[in-house]
Amino acid sequence: MNLTSFIKRCWVLLACAGILITSARSVLAAEAKAETNTATFQSAEVAAAGHGESEEAVEPTLVAQIGYSYLTAYMFCLSLCVGALFYLIIHHLFDAAWSVPMLRIAENMACLFFPWMLVLLLPILALQKSIYPWMSLDPNLDHALGVKRILFNSYSFNLLLVVILLFWGWMSHTFRRFSLAQDKDGKAIWTQKARFLAAWGIYAFAVTLTLACFLLMKSLMHQFFSTMYGVYYFAGSFWVTLATIYAIARWLQTRELKGIVAKRHIHDSGVLFFAFTVFYAYIHFSQYFLIWNAAIPEETFWYVKREEGSWWDVGLLILFGHFFVPFLLLLRIDAKQSMTVMGPIVIWAWLMHYVDMTFNVMPVLYPKGLHVTIFDPICWGGMAFLLGFAWWKSFRSFPPYPLRHPRLKEALTYHPVPETSAGPASH
Amino acid sequence: MSSTPKPYGLLAEFDTAADIFEAAIRVRDAGYRRWDVFTPFPIHGMDDAMGLKNSPVGWFTFIGGFTGFFTGMTMIWYMNGFEYPLVVGGKPLFTPLFAFPVSYELTILLGAFGTIFGMFALNQLPRLHHPLFNSERFKRASDDRFFLCIEARDAKFSDARALLESAGAKAIELVED
Repeated sequence: MNLTSFIKRCWVLLACAGILITSARSVLAAEAKAETNTATFQSAEVAAAGHGESEEAVEPTLVAQIGYSYLTAYMFCLSLCVGALFYLIIHHLFDAAWSVPMLRIAENMACLFFPWMLVLLLPILALQKSIYPWMSLDPNLDHALGVKRILFNSYSFNLLLVVILLFWGWMSHTFRRFSLAQDKDGKAIWTQKARFLAAWGIYAFAVTLTLACFLLMKSLMHQFFSTMYGVYYFAGSFWVTLATIYAIARWLQTRELKGIVAKRHIHDSGVLFFAFTVFYAYIHFSQYFLIWNAAIPEETFWYVKREEGSWWDVGLLILFGHFFVPFLLLLRIDAKQSMTVMGPIVIWAWLMHYVDMTFNVMPVLYPKGLHVTIFDPICWGGMAFLLGFAWWKSFRSFPPYPLRHPRLKEALTYHPVPETSAGPASH
Repeated sequence: MSSTPKPYGLLAEFDTAADIFEAAIRVRDAGYRRWDVFTPFPIHGMDDAMGLKNSPVGWFTFIGGFTGFFTGMTMIWYMNGFEYPLVVGGKPLFTPLFAFPVSYELTILLGAFGTIFGMFALNQLPRLHHPLFNSERFKRASDDRFFLCIEARDAKFSDARALLESAGAKAIELVED
């Protein structure tokens, strides 16, 4: 192990220790405070921010409105980076050939973690008091917050999010660095290094992803329990990322990736997108079904609130629009090749994933039903435009595909795609 | 039993995968319909070279899966909500929610049945014997030789021998039924 990598590891260890110490400190401080605190029972504020029994919620402030729109847009854009990072991880883990032509699309997308997603996180950190109801609650008076305060305290919140974003950024940039180094010397060692990173990275990815969306999105209703919440966010994220990579590959097929991205790669991308259409439905149904079946109030309230007013219709839109419509449209093998089918589905997938994020975030602010403000399109469009521009700039500054990837030849050699369906075998 | 043997088809033998690949393209382009290729291992691109379309087995899968899903739903509705209404755990008598896991499993089961039996039906399986097994030469199809057989019932069968010869077959044999 050389010196630089040793120093890097020390930094990671220090960061982990820092997280542990700060959260332990905050817990101890809270407990010390609890001893001196005269026990007052749930204040009106707690009840209002809690299960929402007091129905006459105050009109949300402008800052809160902006904060929630921004958070929804951020979660959408974070999905694309998270999905792209996972794309890289599985590419290296499975030693895949089919994804080689699209690899640099994903590499540059994942590299948006640093600095872009980290910088874009700062407004959320700045507005955290207006966005997260639990931050203005006393953990000694709110039981749910009290038992979760090891995670839900402002030290852990800020530190963990920054560290996770830095970690994802480091991992993505390392994957791209290996890949670019291989462009120069063509050595197999870069592939082996990337494979090693992917092997332990997939565990770190799972843990950090779950933590990040617990903190960013699930903590909006801090009483809620769902161990599959991280997987749920991941399933939707990878789904929308595959749609995006499909669309970009299709577009670049006539430009930078002409002669590189072939019918077969488009077919495989479409098939994986189809698979994750089913996977998302499977995961979201499982979460709903387990909560519905067990009928425990700490879990059901999350869905009960999302059945109020027009949130009920939004839920149905997700059921049909996120699953049934794409599922049935993509069943045929030739649908995955046809831009007449796939073009609208990709745009639909972006919309559906945004609706899904809205369904997770917005009912906290607007309990009575869907409420769209001007800040929603501004935040979503602005952030997507900014990140799209940053992606394009970084994509243009490197070779458009891994020039000397060991599986490039295999990826480019002729492999047939089944022809259109429904013709009888010719013999 | 000693009826006059009918010709089944012309069996042509090739030495390499590349040879049979080229031969398949020529037979396809000549417009033959009733023919097949037998190789010791799968050859990438052979489906296209033979002009094979996507298999219709998917339709059997779809119909099987569809049947499975609705069997599950109607079975649970009939048993739990209609024929013998029973409240379990304070839940409604019927809702697609709790019927879903069973319907989902039945979708997979009947979908798989549709696939496998559809494949059997389309291939006319099971069968006990095939005329090609009459050829001593054909045994090497599972070892180191590549075979192409044009069946006698093909409309262009009369020109087959000339085509196979010009395609570079190492040996051509008339197989009888």
